[in-house]
Amino acid sequence: MSLSAEIKLQILQNIERVTKNGADYTDARFYTNDDSETLFLYDGNLEANDTNFESGLGVRVLFGGAWGFAATSDAKTIDACFDLALQNARTAAKLVRVPLQMGKKPAHQGHFASPLKQDPFTIPLKQKLDFLNGIDAQLKEDWIAKRYVYAEFQKKNIYFFNSEGTEVERNLANVFAKMMVMALDSDGQMQRRSQELFTTGKGTRGYEMLTSPELFSAHAGRIKEELAQLIKADALEYGRRSVILLPGQGFLQVHETIGHPLELDRILGYELSYAGGSFVDLDSFGKLQYGSEKLSVSAFGGIENSPGSYGYDDEGSPERDYLLIDKGLLVNALSSRAMIDEANQKAGRTVFAESGGAARATAFYRAPIDRMTNVNILPGNDGTLEDIIAGTEDGVVLDNPVSWSIGSNREHFHFGCEIAWEVKNGKKTRILRNPTYQGHTVEFYNSLSAVGDASTWRVWQVDNCGKGEPNQIMQLGHGIPVVRFDNVITGERK
Amino acid sequence: MQKNKAQEMISAVRARAAARGVNASFSLHCEKSHLMRIGNNSVSLNTSEHLTRLDIEVINGRRTGSHTQMGDVTSEEYVEKALQIAVAKAEVASEKDYQPISVVVEANVAENAQYDQTLEHLDPAFKADAYQQIIDNVGEEYNFSGSWSSGSMELFLVSTANENTMHHLATDQDFNVVLKHPQKKWELRQWKSGWRLDHFDVEDVINGFRGLLPTYENHAGYKLEPGEYRVALGSAAIAEVVMMACYTGFYGRSYEEKQGWTSKYKKGDKVLGDNINLVDEPADDKTFRFGFDMMGKVRGRFPLVKDGILRNLMYDSMTAAKYGRELTAHTGGSASIVMQPGSADSDLLAAVKGLGRVIYVPALHYLNMPNASQGIFTGSSRFNAVLIENGKVVSPIFSSRITDSFQNVFGNVSLISSEAETVNLSNTYGRRMPEAASMPSYIVSDKVKITDSADSF
Repeated sequence: MSLSAEIKLQILQNIERVTKNGADYTDARFYTNDDSETLFLYDGNLEANDTNFESGLGVRVLFGGAWGFAATSDAKTIDACFDLALQNARTAAKLVRVPLQMGKKPAHQGHFASPLKQDPFTIPLKQKLDFLNGIDAQLKEDWIAKRYVYAEFQKKNIYFFNSEGTEVERNLANVFAKMMVMALDSDGQMQRRSQELFTTGKGTRGYEMLTSPELFSAHAGRIKEELAQLIKADALEYGRRSVILLPGQGFLQVHETIGHPLELDRILGYELSYAGGSFVDLDSFGKLQYGSEKLSVSAFGGIENSPGSYGYDDEGSPERDYLLIDKGLLVNALSSRAMIDEANQKAGRTVFAESGGAARATAFYRAPIDRMTNVNILPGNDGTLEDIIAGTEDGVVLDNPVSWSIGSNREHFHFGCEIAWEVKNGKKTRILRNPTYQGHTVEFYNSLSAVGDASTWRVWQVDNCGKGEPNQIMQLGHGIPVVRFDNVITGERK
Repeated sequence: MQKNKAQEMISAVRARAAARGVNASFSLHCEKSHLMRIGNNSVSLNTSEHLTRLDIEVINGRRTGSHTQMGDVTSEEYVEKALQIAVAKAEVASEKDYQPISVVVEANVAENAQYDQTLEHLDPAFKADAYQQIIDNVGEEYNFSGSWSSGSMELFLVSTANENTMHHLATDQDFNVVLKHPQKKWELRQWKSGWRLDHFDVEDVINGFRGLLPTYENHAGYKLEPGEYRVALGSAAIAEVVMMACYTGFYGRSYEEKQGWTSKYKKGDKVLGDNINLVDEPADDKTFRFGFDMMGKVRGRFPLVKDGILRNLMYDSMTAAKYGRELTAHTGGSASIVMQPGSADSDLLAAVKGLGRVIYVPALHYLNMPNASQGIFTGSSRFNAVLIENGKVVSPIFSSRITDSFQNVFGNVSLISSEAETVNLSNTYGRRMPEAASMPSYIVSDKVKITDSADSF
C-alpha cells in the first residue's frame, strides 16, 4: 500500500509549519499498513487464526531541547497530531537540564525493502494451515503430552520524512515460527524441546523461509528424539564446569548481557524506571575488557536476512555495520542521533563519532528509542562443535532457553535451558534435564575459551524484545557461533 | 451511558450479522493515553496517543477466525468489512477437536465507577511541574529518571447471541521516579498508582526519598553471601511473585496440562501457608476493577486460596471448552488479585524489632521460572533494598538474587502487614489495559534462598 500524494503533501506542509513555529527538528512516520498474521496450532487445534491491521501517523518534535510526540490512527487528524506533538514538546521543554540535540545531517532519499520471494500475505490461508498442520502431524506421538506449531507474518510499509528534507520509504517483512513438544518426566515435571525458524544470514525472508526444510521443518524429528531421552534423564547437579552454548541458547545470552547493556539510552540512564540501567558507563568505552580476546561482537554485521536488517532506522539514519566489542575490548554502543550527542557532551570528548542507526520504533504510535539491530558474535577459529567438545574436560552443552532473569544493570544473570548434554573428557556422555547456569557478565565473558568457526554460526530471530515506556516490542537478530565458557556455576545449590 | 456513533454502527452490523446467522463478537477499544518520561533530570519524552481498535471474532462450527482493525470507526461499511475478513478466516480455518464457546453478553453493563475526568484530561504541564518539585526538593545533585503514564480506556462489547451490551470507561495512572546517585550508583524509587488524580501526592514522594537517603548516603553497600535469610518482601515484590504463582498455578490451562506447580494437587489441598489468602476481587477499589470479561461474563468475587488451601482455578474460554469446564469470567480483561492483609504492625521496622537480621526487598526485577513444575522462580532485588537488624536499617544491600519456590516463600510467612497497597501491574506494550493488585505492604518469610549477589547495586 503506497502513501497518497495528498497525505504526503499534508505531512510536508505540517513539518514546515511546525519548524516555522520554533521546532528545532521534526520527523514524521506514516504507516500505510502494518499487517500481522498469527497462526497457532496447539495439540492440532487452531487456537489463533488472527490478523491485525494498523495504519497511522507518528510525529516527533524537538523543541527547546525536549521531545514531544503524538500519534493518531485517524488520517483526518494529521494537522492536529502535529499541533499536539509541538505542544507536548513545548511542555517538556519546561523541564530540561540537558538539552537534547540531533546534530545536523544532510538530506537524503532512501528506500529499503526486505528481500522477498513470496509475500506471506499473498499465500492463501489454507496453504499456510496445510503446511503447519503437516508439521504438527510429524510431532504427534502418543507419549507426547503437548505440541505446538506457531507462525507469525509481518509486513510494514513506512514513509519517513524529517525537517532536514530526508525522505525514506521502507517495506519490511518478517516471518517467525516455532515448534515445540512437551512430555512428563519420571518426576511428573513437564519437559520440552523446541525449534525456532532461524536463518543463515543469507537469502530472502518471505514465506519461502518457512518452507525451507533445513531452517525449520526438518528439525521436527530431532526435537522429538531429544525429548524422548530428556524425560528419562537425570537432573544436572550443582557445580562449576564449562558451558558450551549452541546458537539456540547463545543468542539469548548475547541479547541480554551484551545487547541490552550496550544500548546507549540505558547507559545514559533513560530506562532506569523500567528496563533498567547498565553496568557500562561512558568511561568504559576503549577501556573495559568486556571479554576474552576471543570475543568480537558486531552490530548489524551486514546480514541480509534478519529482522534486525532494516536499511534505515526510524530517524532516517542508514543502518551501520560496526564493532561493539573488538577482541574483548568494548569500543562502541547501539545508538541514535540524540543519544550520541548527549553522551559526547557528558563525556567531554567524542566517544561516539556517529549514530549507530539504531533508533527504532515498534509502531507508528511509539517514538523511536535505542534498540538492537543484529548483535552478533563473530565466528572464531576453534572449529566445529565436535572440535570444541573434544577439547572440553568437564562441561555441558546447552540449548534453548526456558527461563532468563538478569540483574537490573545487566551485571549478573541466571538462565534455565531445555536440555544439557554432559561432556566428560572430550566426549558427550548423556543428556541431563533442568539445566541452569548463572554468572556475572564481565567475569563470564572473560572466561570465553572457544568460539566456533563459520560452520557453527546461525542467525537467531527475536520477535519479542521488550523495552521502553510506553513499552515497545521489537524484532531483531543475533548471528551466533558455538561458544564455550569455563568455570561457570551450573545447576542449583541444594 | 449514551451510545456514541461508533457503538451504534457496531450494533447495527451486529444485528445484521445475527440475522444472517453469523456467530460473532465485536469489541471496540478506545484509549487516550499520555506518558511523560524523564531522564537525567529532564523530560525526555512527552507523548500522547489516541487510538481505536475494533476486534471481531467469528465462530463457524468448530472453526474460528479473528481480525483486529486499528482506526476510527467511520461507517457501518468499515465494520462490515472487518467482519467479512474474520468470517473468511473462520471459513478456511481447520476444525478444533472441541466446540469453541460463543461470546454471550449475559447482562447489560455500563460501568464508570473508576473514571476521573480530571485525570483523563490532565495537562502534561502538571506532570512536568511535579517532577520539577521532586528534583528541586530532593536535590539536583542526584540523577532522576522515571515515567508517568495516565489516560482513559473505553471498552464496548456486543455479540450476535443477543442485544445486550457491556461498556467500561475508566482512568488509571502509574507514576514512577528513580533517583540514582551519579557516583555511588545506588537507585531509589518512589511510585504511586490509582485511578484518580489525587492518588498522586508529590509531598509523599519527596518525603519518601528523604526518609531513604540517609541510609544510602551514610552506609556502604552490603554483599549477601548465598544462603537462607529472613526476608521481608514489599508489596511490589509480593505482587510479582503472586502474579507468577497465579499464571503458573491458578489458571486452568497450566493446571489441566500438568505444566504448573499446582498440577499435583486438587481443589481442597493445601498449597501454601495457613495464613495465605488470595482472591480475585473485582470490587476491590485498590485494584482496577473490571465488571465483565471478554466472553461477556459478569465478574464477581472468586477465591483462589483460602487459609493456604486451593479453592478455585481461573479458566479462559479455550481451556474451558477444551476440558469441559465452566467459564469463570477470566477470558481477557484484567483480574483484581488481592492478598488478604494480616495483623502485623503496618510499620515494618516496628514489626521486625526483635527478629534479628531481616533483608528487606521492596521490589524484584526480571522474575522468571526455571522450573514451573516445581514452582521455582528467580529474580533479583532492586530499589530501596536494605539490611535491617533488630528493627533498624543498617545498610543498603547490593543486587541480590532470590531463587526459591512459591511453596517455600509463601509457606513460611511469619508476618503479614495489616496495611494493603495498590500495585500497578499494567504494561503498555499493546493497548491500554490497566491491571492492579492489592497486596499487603510487606510480608516476612523466614527462610528465603539468596543464591547470588553482585558487588554493586
